[in-house]
Amino acid sequence: MKMEKKPSDCLIWRVGSKLKRPFRYTITSESDGWSLSAPLLCLLIISPLLTLLSGIWDSAPAWKHLSETVLPQYFLNTVWLALAVSIVATLMALPAAWLISQFSFPGQKILAWAMVLPLAVPSYVAAFVYRQVPESAIPFLVHLRTQFGVDTYLFAEGLIRKGTLTLLMAAVLYPYLYLSLRTAFATQQKGVIEAAHLLGRSSSRVFFTVALPLARPALIAGITLIIMEVINDYGAVYFMGVPTLTVGIFRTWTGLGDLTSAVRLAGIMVLAVFFLLGIEQFQRGKARFSDQRASSAPHGQLRPLGGYNGILALITCLIPVSFGFILPCLQLLQWAKWSITQYGLGQLPWSRMGHSLLLALITAIVLTTIAVILNFAQRLHPRPWLQLPIRFAGVGYAIPGAVVAVGIMLFLGKISLIGTVYAICFGYVVRFLAVGLHPVRAGMEKVCGSLDQASRVLGHTPTQTLFKVNLPLIRGTLFAVIMLVFVDILKELPMTMILRPVDFDTLATLAFGLAVESRIAECAIPSLMIIFLAGVGLFSLNRLLSSSSRTTES
Amino acid sequence: MHIKRAIYTTLFSFAFLFSQAAEPLVIYSHRHYQADEDIYKAFTEQTGIEVQVLKAGANELMERLKAEGETSKADLLLTSDAGRLGEAKALGLFTRIDSEILTQQVPEAYRDPDGTWYGFSMRARVLVYAPDRVDVAGLSSYEALADAAWRGRILARSSNNIYNQSLLASLIAAHGKAEALTWATAVRKNMARPPQGSDRDQIRAVAAGLGDVAIVNTYYLGLLLNSPEPKDRAAAQKVKIFFPNQSGRGTHVNISGGGVLAASKQKANAQKFLEFMVSEDIQKSFPGNTYEYPVVEGIEWSALQKSWGKFKRDPLNLAQLYEDGKEAVRLFNLAGWE
Repeated sequence: MKMEKKPSDCLIWRVGSKLKRPFRYTITSESDGWSLSAPLLCLLIISPLLTLLSGIWDSAPAWKHLSETVLPQYFLNTVWLALAVSIVATLMALPAAWLISQFSFPGQKILAWAMVLPLAVPSYVAAFVYRQVPESAIPFLVHLRTQFGVDTYLFAEGLIRKGTLTLLMAAVLYPYLYLSLRTAFATQQKGVIEAAHLLGRSSSRVFFTVALPLARPALIAGITLIIMEVINDYGAVYFMGVPTLTVGIFRTWTGLGDLTSAVRLAGIMVLAVFFLLGIEQFQRGKARFSDQRASSAPHGQLRPLGGYNGILALITCLIPVSFGFILPCLQLLQWAKWSITQYGLGQLPWSRMGHSLLLALITAIVLTTIAVILNFAQRLHPRPWLQLPIRFAGVGYAIPGAVVAVGIMLFLGKISLIGTVYAICFGYVVRFLAVGLHPVRAGMEKVCGSLDQASRVLGHTPTQTLFKVNLPLIRGTLFAVIMLVFVDILKELPMTMILRPVDFDTLATLAFGLAVESRIAECAIPSLMIIFLAGVGLFSLNRLLSSSSRTTES
Repeated sequence: MHIKRAIYTTLFSFAFLFSQAAEPLVIYSHRHYQADEDIYKAFTEQTGIEVQVLKAGANELMERLKAEGETSKADLLLTSDAGRLGEAKALGLFTRIDSEILTQQVPEAYRDPDGTWYGFSMRARVLVYAPDRVDVAGLSSYEALADAAWRGRILARSSNNIYNQSLLASLIAAHGKAEALTWATAVRKNMARPPQGSDRDQIRAVAAGLGDVAIVNTYYLGLLLNSPEPKDRAAAQKVKIFFPNQSGRGTHVNISGGGVLAASKQKANAQKFLEFMVSEDIQKSFPGNTYEYPVVEGIEWSALQKSWGKFKRDPLNLAQLYEDGKEAVRLFNLAGWE
């Protein structure tokens, strides 16, 4: 022990990365404000989930019954839906991300950001629009039944319905994959790809043998997000009659009145996600896919695609964005127009918009701040006792919103904060922290490198370093996180429903309330307002991303 | 500077949100009908008592009430089903009310025998059929839908829905568990598609020819017939309504109702609201606005309801729906009725 130098005067930074445990440099003493506040914050965020989990071994009267009856079907439905949506979303996102990051073709500049727009469409809104597909197939189905009998008809009915569900979910979820792939393709070392070209590989072989394998972590990251969204979805699967585990959770909770079994189901879902991630990490082994220098490697010119090929590229990108954004919006606009001619313009829900904006902005700022605090603390103290709680703090993202909400209520009930804006924002943070946690960590690892260490060596305190070095360096990431959270909160429904103050509607609760009453035409206006606000957020996000990549280039 | 301004703005907006200091009557409601807004307004006009509402699913509201405990600001819980009211009572959320008005106006079957909750509007779970494909002489009861002749022809929504749970609970009460399970299994096998969508969607699907008979609540047909959407009106006009089990125990009915919460700080005003709900004016408004039936006897029905005709109701005390409701969900699981 005496051999080791005191952390405050030792400096093993670059060396640290070559050691078995990278980043083992420690400049501060072990206990400071950061090492204290970060675990406390984690504890606060995990507490509602722990409150839920603490009851997991209580008597669960329905558990045996569930596992003997419906559980296998819920599980099967969840698995095939997650698989099917992942595949279709990959077909939508992968070619588009490659084309947009490598080539210039008609409409490429606009599409580069327009591809993200389906993120602005809540899946329950998309489900309302797409429900018309199975409905309009009814005459065909009736024909099938009279011609080929009931069994053929039942088979075709299932196929159309499940196909529509897969398509609509893939169409609103593919942007997660597109975003991560585009960034990966754009920051891949140009040299590797150019070398492959120079060695005589065709474009398609370069793609399959070099670019795609290198983009594997991005592919996995995007698909993981999509799978989590699929297993969390309630509205779309319910409307399309495909009971997944989430539907099962609700049914167990509301129908059988057995919250314990419902929480166990949620636990299974979380475990399944961890299991998948674990397999991937194990299989990836020690292979590394990113080069720290990649960000500073200048991009070559985009290769032009003219004529027939250009148009083909344009169509490849237009198809997903049409399904996920253009078609739903056109339909909603038509409904909105009808609704306005019917009821006039005086009824626009401005106060609800105010509520939505207020919640989304406050949460975005609070959540981003927490993500920064946790990640910075971890950089200061790269220790397992800090790493583990931070990992767990992000787990809310894999749990259905309504279940998290119950945890929040059980936890906050004791201090009578339920039904306040505080409670609802707290709930959002618990549920969505992962959205901020991971990008901020990636941003700090990538951009800050050892600059903050240098700042510390030059005598700045951790806090000074954070404000003078880290934050300015990752301000792009911070803004991106704020916008992503902003969009997520605007769309969020189940938690908002349960946790909101009395007499407090948001655009999402208003749209859903109207939709439940089948006042779909009227529901179009709040839906469009959500899409518009989220679209503005996504647009500014993209402006920022592209302007920052331009500065990198110059 | 900017950060400071942002902080102040945030703090002010919080302060603004909590500044409504007056003590209004707070209602947690699962009823999502537009017409309810007018009822609240009318109540405020008549009594001077302001009303604030939180609309969400009944279970979520109960979960919230449980968590809020004694500190809850809520005064009333309204649901659109007796089973949930029974559950709220079992959870100890309600307090007993002794109101002569309520016991006189609300028939015994539609209120809690212990006086914690009271119904104020009523609906029947009926069959809707396509007259061009179904001979009305072939329709008789819920039980008859289990017949193999209906294979591929029946439409019903998911058994997640409380209306189906209550219907099966009424069958359990009438025949016992074993027979109820056989029934649910057979009906599921006869369905034209796996359960999905709302009652409205079932009516639309019958009109479109996907199935021949659907199990729905009466007021949905009323809502569709009066929909601003021409397509919906056309669909509703294509189907006919049938009240099952008229030669037996009667058609299954359910209520919307409410109770005063044990944690309420203004129980007298809350009781006033329930009494207001069974007053003549409000009872008269249900048939025309939400297409529900009034619970109070002697209130005039709408022309549409009159055209459907009078019908015999299952006299089961609705408190029983809670007793058998959970069993119903188990049976649905066993029957494979999603």
